[in-house]
Amino acid sequence: MTTPTRPSLDDPALAIPVEHAGIFEPIPVPRTEREREFYDLKDGELLLNMGPHHPSTHGVLRVVLKINGEQIVDVDPVLGYLHRGAEKICENADYHQVISQVDPLEYISALFNEWGAVLSFEKLLDVEVPRRAEYIRVLAGELNRVASHMLFLGFYALDLGGITPILWSFAERDEIMEALAALTGQKLLFNYFRIGGVNGDLNHEFLSRVGDWMSRAGTHLEDGMTLLNENEIFVRRTRGIGVIDRETALRMCVSGANLRASGVPFDLRRAHPYSVYPELDFDIPTRAEGDSLARYLLRFDEVKQSLRIIDQCLHEMPDGPVMAKLPRLLRPRPGRAFSSVEAPRGQYSTYVVSDGTDQPFRMRIHDASFLHLEILGLLMPGTLVQDIMVVMSSLDPVMGGVDK
Amino acid sequence: MALTGRAPGGPDAPPGTLGSRLPVPATTAGDALAEAVVVPNTLWTPADPAAYGGVPVDEAPSLALKRYDASGEGRRNDGRWGALDIVPTKADYVLDLIRMNSLWPLLSGLACCAFEMMSMSTSRHDIDRWGMFPFRASPRQADVLIVAGTLTTKMAEPLVRLWEEMPEPKWCVAMGDCTCSGGRYKRSYSTIQGIDRVLPVDVYVPGCPPRPEGLIYGMMKLQQLVRQRRGHWPERNVGPTVPEGI
Repeated sequence: MTTPTRPSLDDPALAIPVEHAGIFEPIPVPRTEREREFYDLKDGELLLNMGPHHPSTHGVLRVVLKINGEQIVDVDPVLGYLHRGAEKICENADYHQVISQVDPLEYISALFNEWGAVLSFEKLLDVEVPRRAEYIRVLAGELNRVASHMLFLGFYALDLGGITPILWSFAERDEIMEALAALTGQKLLFNYFRIGGVNGDLNHEFLSRVGDWMSRAGTHLEDGMTLLNENEIFVRRTRGIGVIDRETALRMCVSGANLRASGVPFDLRRAHPYSVYPELDFDIPTRAEGDSLARYLLRFDEVKQSLRIIDQCLHEMPDGPVMAKLPRLLRPRPGRAFSSVEAPRGQYSTYVVSDGTDQPFRMRIHDASFLHLEILGLLMPGTLVQDIMVVMSSLDPVMGGVDK
Repeated sequence: MALTGRAPGGPDAPPGTLGSRLPVPATTAGDALAEAVVVPNTLWTPADPAAYGGVPVDEAPSLALKRYDASGEGRRNDGRWGALDIVPTKADYVLDLIRMNSLWPLLSGLACCAFEMMSMSTSRHDIDRWGMFPFRASPRQADVLIVAGTLTTKMAEPLVRLWEEMPEPKWCVAMGDCTCSGGRYKRSYSTIQGIDRVLPVDVYVPGCPPRPEGLIYGMMKLQQLVRQRRGHWPERNVGPTVPEGI
């Protein structure tokens, strides 16, 4: 009788085929110094993979955590699961088509993607936009900002384990989206702004929907604040977690609500004014703490300011045309232009280079979410595994904008 | 700006000619235009229908009961005196009714369409009303994969793994233009031009993005398809074969 031999891993017949290496081997061959440092495990450390399919990663983000027991040692966000080559597509589309191609980047607030592109094209072409069009842009943009922040509030609660707030926030968001759909004709990716104006004038359905919603918005916001703001579990999980101090925030190029939650009153609508924001009366809310709770609460403050702006736009809407007179085929002179808008997630910038044809020679799109993910590597080490959801979600990244 | 060295044409080309569209900035010395690099499409091929189970559809082992039903033998009275080991019943039809009225989609939002998908499951368009539970996070507990959003080449492998982790019976819904055919990313270098290149799709819901009502209609079509056994799963023993190179 022969003794059965145990299979050896050195047996070439049992070797993992090369094409399956990514599936079965959790640790890749390090290619850079940073990877060598990250994947070199010390005693007691192990790697934990989160994503790309994870209900709380706001899209398809993969985060590799190096943990020691319950404590996070290091974080490695792996990007690119939603890289769609938008910049290259923009270089092969003419200036009007670009507006629809940038829509799905930061898809929760699509109007700001268009706004960035349109602003830079208008600088390139030296176009003056009619005042009524500017007011309509501000009105639609602020509505989109409210919808985006409302979604954040629901998703933040969902990532912390609460189901109810997302049902409330989606009810609010759907109402705004239906109003914007009446104005733009599309529900999520609006394709509404044009070079030199907007696609269509205000219509009756939009105004009646917005007026209807505005009569209840303040109450709904107060209701939303009663859900979690004084919830003991929620406050204990978010207060003092993921603190970004003022210097770090400025050094790491944090922008938008995350920067203002760290006590820096920087808002592009006031700092580098565009459109008709100088004529409008609103405040820049800030909070000093810089933790996850402050970032959460600051969004409520921003929604209140947005409601003020919407109210002013509706009352002071000037008459006139909504489009500047422009030829159908646009050929700006060779040159370059840069523009930034204050999107709900921070500074959204567009840089465009023209070579004199009707297509951009180069189109560079910069989204704040990318930088906000980068700061995870500073915030996470030393915290517990449960905090990664709290911190990452409070930074509110959108993977469409990160991966482009 | 490195835009010098252009071929004739440009903004100074005579009006009415196409010359102003054609030139590209020269990338090599001496104004010579570089030859285009043609990469043959070896990565993406449509999935082979014969790959579902490895045999032609009519000979699939999982269809034994169906073939037996069609042969008429089961309608003889052999079952009554023990000449048969099995007695075919109509239980399968009852099971189909149960499956159809408790669809559990997998929470797999990839991009923009995910928000319309979630909107479908929340208060305004409440899909609980039609027997579709809003979203399981684990593929082991789900039986419908709604692919909502652009599928990139990098995400294809994790998504196919998710699909293979789902237990049978399972169905796949392609939501949005990107997943149906490529849509606005038809010309992109990093997306998959329609997920039917890697997954067997049962229902296509076009739109960019489709409204939640559109997705609800698609899900109702899926229910109809489950009841009539017209989906992919009766012909399938194992998950689909993944084309090489993903």
